[in-house]
Amino acid sequence: MEFLLENILNLVGFLVGLGIGIVSFIGFRNTGSPTLFRLALAFFSISIGFFVIWVGYMVEDFVIKSGNLERWVQTLGIAIQTIGYFFIAFSHSIKSLFPKSRYFKSVGIFPLFLVSSVQIEHIFRSVSFILLAYGAIETILSYFENRNKGAISVAIGLSLLALGEFLGWYSFVFPESILYFISMIIKISGLIALFIPVSRVPLTKIKFDESFD
Amino acid sequence: MTEYRTHMKIIGDILSTTRDELQDEDGATVTYLIRKANVSHSRISRILRTLVSQGLLEKDDSQGSNKYKISQTGREFLQAYHTFSGFAINFGLTI
Repeated sequence: MEFLLENILNLVGFLVGLGIGIVSFIGFRNTGSPTLFRLALAFFSISIGFFVIWVGYMVEDFVIKSGNLERWVQTLGIAIQTIGYFFIAFSHSIKSLFPKSRYFKSVGIFPLFLVSSVQIEHIFRSVSFILLAYGAIETILSYFENRNKGAISVAIGLSLLALGEFLGWYSFVFPESILYFISMIIKISGLIALFIPVSRVPLTKIKFDESFD
Repeated sequence: MTEYRTHMKIIGDILSTTRDELQDEDGATVTYLIRKANVSHSRISRILRTLVSQGLLEKDDSQGSNKYKISQTGREFLQAYHTFSGFAINFGLTI
């Protein structure tokens, strides 16, 4: 059951990320907006991250058949997703929160070489949680300015993904509990909530002009 | 509090003005656009040059004063701008 849910989650994540990424990229091509370019990068990264884990599960299930997904595949997929979440948060001007000194930057990266891949996965999950929570808060604040209902759906989607990441991380503490199962259900719901406003973008009305970049 | 406008939003405002709020059929003068789009003369001159070179605006200087009208490409760009502006607002962002 967990294996099936994991496959559904990663496939939904791949498709939703790809869909939103393509819409963002079309928007970037038609308007030249850097915001849409960052959104395209974010969602393509999220899509690739889910795809890597999904392929890992498929290879494990049909080729290797060891019963367990290679830890590094899971870590790689989550790391790529974290890059995507970073770009969402970055679009909300998170840049100013990062330390500017080279010393601080090196201190921030150095501990990664001292920990195992399991611990790296924990770090990525917790970073993802923070970035997603930040994105959700900024999105809901923008709702109070614009009263755009789509922002509620995106904020709920990001919040559910954040909660899913948190429970996924917490399930390491209680490995045999139902927490991981719940976290996957929550993340699937979050991805669907993210896609609802995007599905209403009237792309068919736009006449694409190849000569305009 | 003054609303911060991105470069893209200013372009959207200029194109919207040349599409919806023309003084006459020949187009809008620079002075009119400065007032409607609320942009300084030096800045709007640069933007107008870019928009004309990109084919989004058509410049008419036949009667001694420069007048600007939105082109077909400009109309398509404006449509895309409004569509993707709404898309970005869903994510709490402005394009």
